[in-house]
Amino acid sequence: MNSKGPAWYCVTLGLVAAFACVSVRVESFPSRGSSDDKTQVTFNRDIAPIVFRYCSPCHRSGEAGPFPLLRYEDTAKFARQIAAVTQRHIMPPWLPAPGEFRFQGEMRLTDAQIALFKKWAEQGAPRGDAADLPAAPQFTSGWQLGTPDLILRARKPYALAAGGVDNYWNFIFPTQVDGTRWIKAIEIRPGEKRVVHHANILVDRQHSSRALEKHPGDGFPGMELRIESDSFDPDSHLFFWKPGSSPHEEPAGMALRLEPGNDFVLNTHLQPSGKAEWIEPSIGIYFTAQPATKFPMLLELQNDAALDIPAGTANFQVSDSFTVPTDVDLLAIYPHAHYLGKELRATATTPEGTKRDLIFIPRWDLNWQAVFYYAEPVFLPKDTVVSMEYVYDNTEANPSNPFRPPQRVRGGNRTTDEMAHLWLQVLPRGTSAEQEEARRLIQEALSRHDIARDPNDFAAQYNLAAMLQARGDIGEALTHYQAAVRVKPQDAIATNSLGGALLAAGKVSDAIVALKIAVAAQPDYFPAHYNLGNALAALGRFPESIEEFKTAVRLNPADSMAQTNLGAALAETGDLSAAKEHLQKALELDGKNTLAQEDLREVENRLAEKKQ
Amino acid sequence: MFETRAQFRRICLLFGLLLALSAIASDPVEAQIQTKGVVDLDGRAVNPFQHAAGKIVVLVFVRTDCPISNRYAPSIHKMSAQFGKSAEFFLVYPIESESAGQIRKHLKEYGYKLTALRDPERALVRAANITVTPESAVFSADGTLVYHGRIDDWYTEFGRSRPAPTTHELSSAVEAAILGKPSPVATAAAVGCFLSGAP
Repeated sequence: MNSKGPAWYCVTLGLVAAFACVSVRVESFPSRGSSDDKTQVTFNRDIAPIVFRYCSPCHRSGEAGPFPLLRYEDTAKFARQIAAVTQRHIMPPWLPAPGEFRFQGEMRLTDAQIALFKKWAEQGAPRGDAADLPAAPQFTSGWQLGTPDLILRARKPYALAAGGVDNYWNFIFPTQVDGTRWIKAIEIRPGEKRVVHHANILVDRQHSSRALEKHPGDGFPGMELRIESDSFDPDSHLFFWKPGSSPHEEPAGMALRLEPGNDFVLNTHLQPSGKAEWIEPSIGIYFTAQPATKFPMLLELQNDAALDIPAGTANFQVSDSFTVPTDVDLLAIYPHAHYLGKELRATATTPEGTKRDLIFIPRWDLNWQAVFYYAEPVFLPKDTVVSMEYVYDNTEANPSNPFRPPQRVRGGNRTTDEMAHLWLQVLPRGTSAEQEEARRLIQEALSRHDIARDPNDFAAQYNLAAMLQARGDIGEALTHYQAAVRVKPQDAIATNSLGGALLAAGKVSDAIVALKIAVAAQPDYFPAHYNLGNALAALGRFPESIEEFKTAVRLNPADSMAQTNLGAALAETGDLSAAKEHLQKALELDGKNTLAQEDLREVENRLAEKKQ
Repeated sequence: MFETRAQFRRICLLFGLLLALSAIASDPVEAQIQTKGVVDLDGRAVNPFQHAAGKIVVLVFVRTDCPISNRYAPSIHKMSAQFGKSAEFFLVYPIESESAGQIRKHLKEYGYKLTALRDPERALVRAANITVTPESAVFSADGTLVYHGRIDDWYTEFGRSRPAPTTHELSSAVEAAILGKPSPVATAAAVGCFLSGAP
């Protein structure tokens, strides 16, 4: 009798960005930075090309920008404002400082362009010669990637109040597909773009978010989402929307798997606009026939435990490092802090000791957080140390400080708590077998990294144990399952897996103790009843075993192995006709179930002997 | 004829000055605050200080297309409701190119129930020392400017907002004025959409 393999307890934070600029057709214009003071700066010749490229994608009707910037009249009205916000690098919103690596869809003005805005405003925003005006940009209306293959709409719009604090709301979108489908792109239409500051999608394969809704379809509040997953196939795709971003198409071979019944959870950051708004997002899904052959992974660095920032501290530093155990390509990076974040840096130090900035954000602003895709993948050789070095400002001088006077702030998921997280999306190199081995190495290294920081990290202990068990190292697996169970003694999944591992190690009595805790913790948890049935059968306690298998079959009538084991246990007690019934059922469910075939033959032989 | 008229004028002027002087000494001073060009949405000249005689006057400067001033609509409502008995709130639209029609639409959209004034010549902007929208000014019942500046500290820098404000300069100033006390601060820099340069 086999035992059910461990369920993975993987905590995913699916995020990522779509970056490349909205599809704007703009010719590139020579920059006119060195114009001397006497030259007049005009809208038509100098300003319009910059505005069309960097401002109009958002500053137009239906988009996030609060007022249009397309025509001379609209732009001249805000000339001084534009000069001020460009000079302070507030607009266009782009957090990373220029560095060694370029990102897709960079929205950074040159110093020369910024100087032009300043001069134009000082000169009274002249219009200039009509002949100089370039053609207005053309924008695609509606879905940016064409009609989606599947459109999911929010089941209930969210009523955002006119005023009040920033709001974080999550919408659950159940999906309906017939079989496994592969997603190459997801387009998020967040609803009223002027109030949605950013939005990202997480895949919830376990319906674990549904319990957070008061009524199905309501959605639920919360700034940070963590979704438990029972599979390790890495859902490390990042689907992120921010104003001005266009949907990201996954590179060939990097499609995301969608199974029947999977949910998408859309996490939105909403800023009240002054009037009540209905937020009614929709999601457009684009499929590909090509299944995934490349599986990116997310390296999560974080050190929330170190966040305990005394009031009045201007430069509170937090760091974390991770040694990459294998060659990978870095595709995207997503730094995350809340309102006290000041300076966010991520670095990579090669085995030879060269340290390079992967990203440097000199002036963090939560409101413009984003996933940043590298223009070209960044190669990180085996044994590269990636680090995050974050600085926090908990003084009154921080214009985003939620408290005045400043208060002690600690790590946590609420808006007014602080966070120190960095996600790196990486793709292992090599053949598919090498990539698979690389993913195992990375997953193990990540779990060990998390355990080293916090031995009470339940998910890390559990995941490491499951990995060790999968590769046959039952001894060390038991150590880590036990550590996980010490953190959550009543967790059905962890106690069940511990029981399964004990059973595999031949410690049947101990296994029964653990599995009884699992079934008590979650009476409708099929794997625990199944494993407990097996453990009891291993000790010859068939009547008790039959009870467990009966429960298992009731919970999951379509499981061929549960039917088989129930049949076998019944046969052991001599109830051959009932045994035959369940073994036949097992074969109906899975004609290739060899164990059921053998058992059925045996039962039929005995029945025949009985007749004779 | 000419001389007579000139003379009359001079006399008139003199008289006016005397009146003003006596007014400073005793009971001021609607006449001191310039309200040239201030009109309601039907184009009728309005002097908010006469309109609200004996009450504290609060001017909140907004424009239809400024996202920061729009975000303040709910807190402006709240304050005007809270202090309405002793203070009269006016919304002032200082952008000349914003028509009465656009303003009416804006009032409806944001649910404003306050009296809206247009200030195309920026008389009130000057009287209240205003540079951006949203920005506010509090005049005591005797017409003295006791506070001008931001509504609160939601924004203290361009493009950076806190999750919620932590100080409330405007309502503190109004409360103080109602009690006849000086405002805790006379001014606090407002962040928003510049008025200078905007037509």
